[in-house]
Amino acid sequence: MSNSVNISVETTCENQIREITYDGVEMYQAPPTLSESLAKCAARIDFSKTSLDDLKKEEKSAAAATDDDKDANQFQESLWPWDSVRNKLKDAYTEICVLSDVISIAKDKRYLVLDPLLEDGDDTKPIVQVYSRKKALSQAAQVLLSGAERLRNAHSEQRSRNVSDFHIELLRLRQNWRLKKVSNGAIIGDLSYRTAGSKFGMSGTFEVTKAEEVMDDEGAGCSTNATSCTSSSSTTNNGLQLKTSSALRVIVPAELQGVAYIKVITQKDQEDLCTAQVNLMGHGPNITAQVGVWQKTLEFAQNVLFCKELFAQLAREAIQLQAPIPHVVIGNQIRATLLPNIQLIISLCHSTSFDSNQPAPINDHDHVLEHSLHQLLREVHFKNSHHPFPHPASAPLGPSKKRMIAGPTAADRESLLDMTKTQTILEQIIAQAQHIFMRKRTQYVLDTLARDVKDPQIVSHWNAMNSPTMSCVKINIVTHGYDAIGRTSLVIHVKERSLKCICRDGRVMKLSYEPQELRDLILCQINSHQISCLVSLARYMAWTVLSNSNHLGIGKVEPLGNASSCLLGSPNSDRMIAVQIRCDPQIDVKVYIARSPRADFFPSPLVPEKFWENLGGNFKEVRFDKIEGKSFLNKMEFLMASLTSNST
Amino acid sequence: MAIPSATESLSLALKNRFLPNLEYLLQGSILDTAVEHLMHRLKGLCDNVDTSPETFHDLEVCMSLRQPNSPQPVLLLRVRRALGRDAPFQLRYLGQPEVDMRRPTLVRSCMDCACTNGILDFLSEMGFRLEFEYIAKGYMFRKGRMKITVSKLIKIVPGKQQDMANEPISQSYIVELSVVAPTGQENVGEEMRVFAEQLKPLVQLDKIDYKRLANIP
Repeated sequence: MSNSVNISVETTCENQIREITYDGVEMYQAPPTLSESLAKCAARIDFSKTSLDDLKKEEKSAAAATDDDKDANQFQESLWPWDSVRNKLKDAYTEICVLSDVISIAKDKRYLVLDPLLEDGDDTKPIVQVYSRKKALSQAAQVLLSGAERLRNAHSEQRSRNVSDFHIELLRLRQNWRLKKVSNGAIIGDLSYRTAGSKFGMSGTFEVTKAEEVMDDEGAGCSTNATSCTSSSSTTNNGLQLKTSSALRVIVPAELQGVAYIKVITQKDQEDLCTAQVNLMGHGPNITAQVGVWQKTLEFAQNVLFCKELFAQLAREAIQLQAPIPHVVIGNQIRATLLPNIQLIISLCHSTSFDSNQPAPINDHDHVLEHSLHQLLREVHFKNSHHPFPHPASAPLGPSKKRMIAGPTAADRESLLDMTKTQTILEQIIAQAQHIFMRKRTQYVLDTLARDVKDPQIVSHWNAMNSPTMSCVKINIVTHGYDAIGRTSLVIHVKERSLKCICRDGRVMKLSYEPQELRDLILCQINSHQISCLVSLARYMAWTVLSNSNHLGIGKVEPLGNASSCLLGSPNSDRMIAVQIRCDPQIDVKVYIARSPRADFFPSPLVPEKFWENLGGNFKEVRFDKIEGKSFLNKMEFLMASLTSNST
Repeated sequence: MAIPSATESLSLALKNRFLPNLEYLLQGSILDTAVEHLMHRLKGLCDNVDTSPETFHDLEVCMSLRQPNSPQPVLLLRVRRALGRDAPFQLRYLGQPEVDMRRPTLVRSCMDCACTNGILDFLSEMGFRLEFEYIAKGYMFRKGRMKITVSKLIKIVPGKQQDMANEPISQSYIVELSVVAPTGQENVGEEMRVFAEQLKPLVQLDKIDYKRLANIP
């Protein structure tokens, strides 16, 4: 066929027109490749909607939404094609992970428990609920009641048996003593003075146990030792009936059992002068009645410990001290020499047997020495534990206050050395004993003199406030009736081994411990008192004092003074009185008178004229004891008065 | 041989640590509201608790000697005196603290010296200048050779009456645990650490490095 017509057959425009250019050319969108169409289809799947219903709905809506999606997808082509798929898969994966975590936690049953959901239909009747609650309450009440009954029974049983509770006793023990529980359940107490500053090595531990219920082994308990016995039906010293038994038992180490005391004896030759016993018993409030019987046991043990520490300390010091006469430590005894022939004996008495041979009460018990010994050891304890706090607060801890100001006050070597010296307990107790002895001696000398010498009266005033090693006495010497004329006073400081006398004129004399020296001194003071009073009296009576001397230097010459004398002239100087007072060893007064000129003058070849008689005449001794008058001054007053008159 | 200047010999002495004493120190702080509990605790732990705790009221003045062209002072000295009490002044030198990790406490060399009240004038004459001053007021305890101070630091307002105008620096107390011991006693630190442990919930005693505190702007 030559004139066949070409018919062009075109495929229908399946592709979408993307754009029509201005010259009418249509730009088609290229058909999607296989992978692109797969991605498009896959993107339509919603992985979150997995149930069938959802899928059905999805299919319906998918058809409707295709057109919309087409447009939307066209503009998201710049994204990675699998992006939405990836996101959805990732979300699903996250959910799976969370689910698996929850399951693994729930499997562990520590943090999460899965419970089946309550179905709504499970509603109980209110009457059933009330009934079950009532039943539960009555069961609880039953438990409580039975418990209360048991408690009441136990309580009444305890009261009827009058058995003290171990724990109550332990509580009381704990209030007064230091206790601690050790690993194996035992209770250990400490009765040493270590917390109070003691450095004594001996341990003061005791053990607390529960007493056995059975009374039969009481005998066994007592046989171990008296102190560790639970002391059934024991009676204290004041007759107070204690509880029949104690549920608590204290076991004191063997070396602290028994009774101990320290005996202090001052001995002259072999005769006891004074005795002191150191014993802590009976000090402090008596709390034995309120607390168990163990209180007594522990107090005794503590006393033993105290005495042992005191004695150990004294013995150590006795050995270390360099005394001129060395101290002797033999066994339980320390001997120290106080003054020649006078010894201080300190002994530790420790008896483990009770009241079998209690020492008889000593009458001349020296409370002062006893107290001092206590105090001295306590002071050592106190100093060990109480150091002064520094001020200001940055200053070092340790040096004493005195030491702190040593630098700023430019203390010299001497005073720094003094700070390092401390007196030991033994030195202090010896000093105190010596002082006690010196004081007694001084008292004795003064009292005997006051008794023996009547004429000038000797009045001694002892200071009420003393230190342990120094006391002070003031002595006034006066003549009765002539107090206004003259009074001699002196002060004596009684120290440890010496006396210091301070006279009114400012003279200071040191006397040794020998009583004779004090006696001589007082006698000399009496002499000078008499003379000085006589001088004043003479002035009142218009007599002239021609001379006087307190120390003639005749007779027995004593270092502190001797005979004294005085020479008086009458107002018209025709008579003279000479007085001499000696004191060896008794006070001895001699009075002489002289008259010149004599009333009757007979001229002789040697003394031709009467005026020669004015040179003075012969002294004649007056029998002084025959003169009227109560005292020396009184007699002298009469004598002077009678000589003043012109009558012959 | 050149004679070294005073400053040179001083710094030489400081460097060579010729001081025989070391101060072992732990510090902490506690709020005012809780200090009462700490006092009770200390009363239970320390020596001599039968008496009431020892109080103190001190004025501390820190004086420094500086070189003309160096920012760091050559030497810092502290003068401390107890207010209302007749006690000598205390002059104190404190060395650089060593914070050694192996040691339980802060350690610094120290030197204490009691002085008369002319010390401040003397230091001023030597060229020392006032660095700072404060009042410390509080309580002191001791346990063996350890000294424990619980003190309130009080700022001094210049030009006002001493007692009235001064105000506390903070609402807390500083707690210090210190021991001054000769060099070579290493067990001191351990002893202090054990004691500090016993105060633990109330106050945390620790070694405090001042150099690091100073760097904080």
